[in-house]
Amino acid sequence: MPLQRSQIWEYMDVIVLIAALLLTTWLALKKRSRQGLVWMSVFSLAYFGFFREGCICSVGSVQNVALSLFNQSYSIPFTALLFFMIPLIFALISGRVFCAGVCPLGAIQELTGYKPVRLPKAVESVLAAVPFIYLALAILFAALESQFIICRYDPFVGIFRLDAPYTMIIFGALLLISGIFINRPYCRYLCPYGVLLNIFSRFSRRHLTITPAECTNCRLCENVCPYDAILPSDMGLSSEEPEKSRKKLFLYLLLIPVFAVAGALIFRNLGPALAGIRQEVRLAREIRMEIETGTEAVSKDAVAFKEAGKTEDELFAEELMIIERFRKASPWAGVFLGLSLGFSLVALTVRTTRTEYVPHRGKCYSCGRCFKYCPVEVKKPS
Amino acid sequence: MKLTEKDISILKTISLIAGIFTIIVALTMVFSLIQLKAIDPLDNPALTGIKEQFDADPENALKAEQVRAMDLMARKAYFASRRQVETGSYFLLAGAIIFILCQQLISGNEKILPDIPGPKPDDQAQRNKKISYMLASVTVITGIAIVSSFMLRSNLPDLAIKEPGKSKAERVPGASTAAGFNPDGTNYPFFRGQDSRGIAGGLGYPVNWNGEEERNIKWKLMIPKDGKSSPVIWGDKLFVTGAEGTLCEVYCINKNTGEIIWTAAASGIPGEPSVIPEMDHDAGMAVSTAAANSDAVCAIFANGNLICLDHDGNRNWAINLETPENIYGYSCSLIIYNDLLLVQYDSNEKISLMGFDIASGEMKWETMRRGRAAWSSPVIGNFNGEPQVIINGNPYVSGYNPVSGTELWAVECMTGDVAPSVAVNSTLTYAVTDYARLAAIKPGRGASIVWEDNMFTPDVSSPVATDDLLFLATGNGDVACYDAIKGDTLWTYYFMDQFYASPVIADDKVWILNRSGIMNIVKADSKYELIAQSPLGEASDCTPAFSDGKIYIRGRRNLYCISEN
Repeated sequence: MPLQRSQIWEYMDVIVLIAALLLTTWLALKKRSRQGLVWMSVFSLAYFGFFREGCICSVGSVQNVALSLFNQSYSIPFTALLFFMIPLIFALISGRVFCAGVCPLGAIQELTGYKPVRLPKAVESVLAAVPFIYLALAILFAALESQFIICRYDPFVGIFRLDAPYTMIIFGALLLISGIFINRPYCRYLCPYGVLLNIFSRFSRRHLTITPAECTNCRLCENVCPYDAILPSDMGLSSEEPEKSRKKLFLYLLLIPVFAVAGALIFRNLGPALAGIRQEVRLAREIRMEIETGTEAVSKDAVAFKEAGKTEDELFAEELMIIERFRKASPWAGVFLGLSLGFSLVALTVRTTRTEYVPHRGKCYSCGRCFKYCPVEVKKPS
Repeated sequence: MKLTEKDISILKTISLIAGIFTIIVALTMVFSLIQLKAIDPLDNPALTGIKEQFDADPENALKAEQVRAMDLMARKAYFASRRQVETGSYFLLAGAIIFILCQQLISGNEKILPDIPGPKPDDQAQRNKKISYMLASVTVITGIAIVSSFMLRSNLPDLAIKEPGKSKAERVPGASTAAGFNPDGTNYPFFRGQDSRGIAGGLGYPVNWNGEEERNIKWKLMIPKDGKSSPVIWGDKLFVTGAEGTLCEVYCINKNTGEIIWTAAASGIPGEPSVIPEMDHDAGMAVSTAAANSDAVCAIFANGNLICLDHDGNRNWAINLETPENIYGYSCSLIIYNDLLLVQYDSNEKISLMGFDIASGEMKWETMRRGRAAWSSPVIGNFNGEPQVIINGNPYVSGYNPVSGTELWAVECMTGDVAPSVAVNSTLTYAVTDYARLAAIKPGRGASIVWEDNMFTPDVSSPVATDDLLFLATGNGDVACYDAIKGDTLWTYYFMDQFYASPVIADDKVWILNRSGIMNIVKADSKYELIAQSPLGEASDCTPAFSDGKIYIRGRRNLYCISEN
């Protein structure tokens, strides 16, 4: 954990964040400079990554917000709230410019990924569900004052601080190595904040475009996005009957509440198991095992518990209270996942008409890799 | 940036060299990390062997020295390996940055070969395929979730039979202080009260007052001479110190009326320097808090003057301990154990703990401490029936026998300017300082750190602990509550102003005075609950005293008695 910083420096971080977002927006939307975005990534990696040691970051701030919403005794630091909100506000204005060159986690992957390989669609579909699950669990655990899992399992923070448990260093190194070929693996298959940016960016007022002027439908950019975030033009010539599409749309709309209820039931059942993330629950299991089997509990927590002089009844009562809290809260994580699935299916069923190749507003990281593949040029008046 | 063929060729060569260098450094580091993982400096067989011999013969000074030497050697070897890994990290990083930059420059100048795709894919067909994949993966994930929910529940208690017992499960920790520690409701004899633990006895202290409006202010007295020392109380008498130039004084004040009963000079002691010692301009000569018992009151000043008076202001004895030279000035407060006055003497020349016979002023013992000067004060703890004086030092947090002065244990864990004193409860000692760490230490032979954190680290204010909770207030304005046993942060609150005064627990509340003189009163609980914020009307860095339902706070100029009656 980096040392506490004075308030003025925390506000300086916010100023740097806003300035970096403004500059990235200009580079992506107006200047259309891929090189500029790369240098922006270098700066963000240096400042937010190595200088600020990855803390505070917008990705982890999700948990601060969740904790403050569900726990009145926790007062969220104002800067943490700003770090959570500002990238989302920019996503509503200009798309995921935060991912393009400001997020240090995205920057380190952007700089190391340069031989993109496309994953099979089936694998991509399975992995794309992980960030939603990760976000649901992160909010659940933070709200129940259990753990900040996003921070704890941040794969790159160990690299930023040059200090971390071995497992996390190995995890971070593996992600970076795999990222050479499967670009931005953390952003695509893990980042919980990316889920929120994805949703907000879909409603963005402006967004990066592949072509600087009118698209000629030359198809040169069709396969260049390593994130599969380019939507081809579609002049309404769908192979599927409109009636069939309509029926599917209604079916999925009806299924939304069903998915939500199913998710709630599954997570209610998972609640007690998820409570195992709490040290008190694990300790209670260890002590119960000692009572039942005679195997001496030797973990540090068990030794501390025995020395503290608390009774086993108190420990078990605390365990039951925690499990009960998880049982009450976990279904909401299931509802969120069920709704996410339902709305994703609806979005895939809605028929659209596009006359140009455009970036997928939710998935596009505004990295500008596609710029150089577009042959259209805007000639400046001499 | 446009590059020529030659430039790209040079970049490729640099990139190749950087890549090979990075791989070699990475492999070396992996090897070092594996080696480090295997090394546990405290589990070295040779060290363990000597420790066992020492345990069998604890009086053997030679063996003790051998243990220390071996321990130091093992730790040095361990930290040397760690430094190697840290240095390697920087090399690795540098190599990787050069490699990446070169590759980025090369790829930015690569010629784009037009990729003519095949037949245009049917968008709707692709969407349908995606829906199929999504449904298939959701089915798989759901299946895994259902199966694992049953598998992982196997070692949980039977929830159907037992209902959570609210009375025990919702037991609020914090209501108790430390087992066996029952502070007096009248006497508040040392800095931070009885045993210097920061816990006061008594009930019914006022929570609402306003110094400017004189609301609930029973009396207010301008202290004749300035000082940063805090008030201490014995019976109806309140003692406080002050100084102006080289003139040092002790004041005895009637705690009920606010009248000065007597003033005793603490200057003119043989050996005292004629000039004020060099110190931080904000400190002054009277920073150390006095100590009182039923017969005497003792005070120490930054010029080394140590004085012991009876309760009528007559001088029992006085000596000069030589001026403690240190950059901020001397600030260690006094404490009394039975008939011994304990002095933590911290100077650039030497650091020690001295025991003086309180009746005669004779020095009974002096134990030289290891490390560098600190600005903390001694605290008395009691662990397993054994009383100990505990000092937060640099780098050692150490425990001493209060009767003989013998060092009982020491843990090397602090660094920098150590000003906060330790907090103790019935099982653990909590040491902290800014830019270092907060460490919960299990005291005794083989003392070790049970948990540690570095998120909230006060620079001046001392922490306070009950058996369940630990509270601390930082120089940045944060107040944090930790689970005293496990080290979890239970709540934090940012109060916007600095804290120098130490928090005190009294009447199930934590009283936290900020530098502007606003007392923030929160419930001594695992949940944050602000009870009141009451302004003194002037700035203060002194720790308040609590006695018989009244609170005594020394401001920058005045001493206040706060009472609802």
